[in-house]
Amino acid sequence: MTQLGARPLAPRPPGEVIGHWRQVAVQTGPADRATAEQAVRAAYRAAGLAEPAAVVWLDSPLQGALAALLLTGCAERLRDCLPWARVEPQLARVAARLAEHAAAADPGVGVREAVRTRPWERARTRTHGRLGALGWAELWSLTGGELWPSSQALAGRIRGAVAEELHGAGELGAGAEPELRERTAAAVGVIQLALLEAVLGQHDAPWLAAFDAAEELDAGLEPLAELARSVGWWWPYERVVLLTERPTELHRDEAGRLDRADGPALAYPDGFALHAWHGMPVPADFLATLGGLTPERIRAEENAELRRVMLEHYGYERYLADSAAEPLHRDETGTLWRIQLPDDEPVVMVEVLNSTPEPDGTSRTYWLRVPPQTRTAREGVAWTFGLPADQYHPRRET
Amino acid sequence: MYRQGDVLIVPVPKEAAPASDHGLTRRPRDPRGRLVLALGEVTGHAHAVVGPGELLREPGPFATAWLHLPEGGRVVHEEHAAIPLPKGWYRVVRQREYLPGAVRVVSD
Repeated sequence: MTQLGARPLAPRPPGEVIGHWRQVAVQTGPADRATAEQAVRAAYRAAGLAEPAAVVWLDSPLQGALAALLLTGCAERLRDCLPWARVEPQLARVAARLAEHAAAADPGVGVREAVRTRPWERARTRTHGRLGALGWAELWSLTGGELWPSSQALAGRIRGAVAEELHGAGELGAGAEPELRERTAAAVGVIQLALLEAVLGQHDAPWLAAFDAAEELDAGLEPLAELARSVGWWWPYERVVLLTERPTELHRDEAGRLDRADGPALAYPDGFALHAWHGMPVPADFLATLGGLTPERIRAEENAELRRVMLEHYGYERYLADSAAEPLHRDETGTLWRIQLPDDEPVVMVEVLNSTPEPDGTSRTYWLRVPPQTRTAREGVAWTFGLPADQYHPRRET
Repeated sequence: MYRQGDVLIVPVPKEAAPASDHGLTRRPRDPRGRLVLALGEVTGHAHAVVGPGELLREPGPFATAWLHLPEGGRVVHEEHAAIPLPKGWYRVVRQREYLPGAVRVVSD
């Protein structure tokens, strides 16, 4: 046992490195344009390429994707999709931005592979060679692996939302014409390709944390690290590089998921935004309806996921009081409640008292949803820790 | 066993602790020299152990962690009272919540 982890992992303590990159991954506010432009030129030189003739600044990953589609001659596909009317003005704005740069007429091919992926692979191979397969796995688990779940989820959400904004496949009803479906599917393909050409900047923090801990940044990766610290997503082409702004707003819960009740959880300067409740995507106009909720309105909601958000927002306690509910069971671990919903499984929850009092002397209660077949409060609380009821006996709780 | 907010700390016999070939990693101490059992992403508040020992776990929000305190220690958190822990081995469990078709980690 004492042997485990005893071998030196990497020259720098991962605990120090990870805090920095955790911060980079969630940084909001205007890009540091001067630093970014210098870093991107250095990244091209490090890759053995000529510096890009034009650096084009855009306001969001959505604008970045539109510009990438324009530069690769694929933007015409968007014309065939359902959201075209709302996409057209955005596309025109981005086209105007590109038209300010002569090089945009002949951007050359995408160079993500040369600028980002190859130096990445070299650093990984070197680190792998130095630490061995187990050492690399351990280094990753202590650094990149810590940041990966939330960074990866966020980048995936952005990618999905940009794509949907442009092709509208999710808006196609069951009765959509087959021809529209085909045209949409073709657009989905080119949009995905445009998004795959992006370098994720701050959302590459997990990789950069691992390379930083391995002291690999100095060996050619520093320009990429500097870009991650100073911009959002970016798209490198031979003669043109597209750099985009970071979010203006980023709101997350303690588990790192997008979360905000009174506005967008993620927003960019051009208005591109995502709305979410504890990570669950919700429509932008849905949040505005939460203020005027009533138990009747909650019961009438047909979408089970939105109904769950409504219930949480309204407050289980208030809902139960309004509906004069009786607890199912009560013991020293807490109280078990059930809410019956039409055409859905019941919501069964334990109400647990936080054992450490608040500064004002009151004790905060919190609610945890448990499986619907739960019969006692102890069984419910024990389930939240993966234990059977008869094994849950905390000696001390705070 | 001990509960501090959304973390349960369960004493286990030494024989139940993982053998060294289980592929777990020893977690580094944070810059304040503590072993972090769970970290709040936004507030940075942490369930953390002060004192000598080691923490072994896989990455991931639901991964079980193993805590070894050869001389005992204390688990602290910004919003919860500290709990003294006798020396020994512990299994550390994060609280989860039921969602139809899934579970999600609790964030207190």
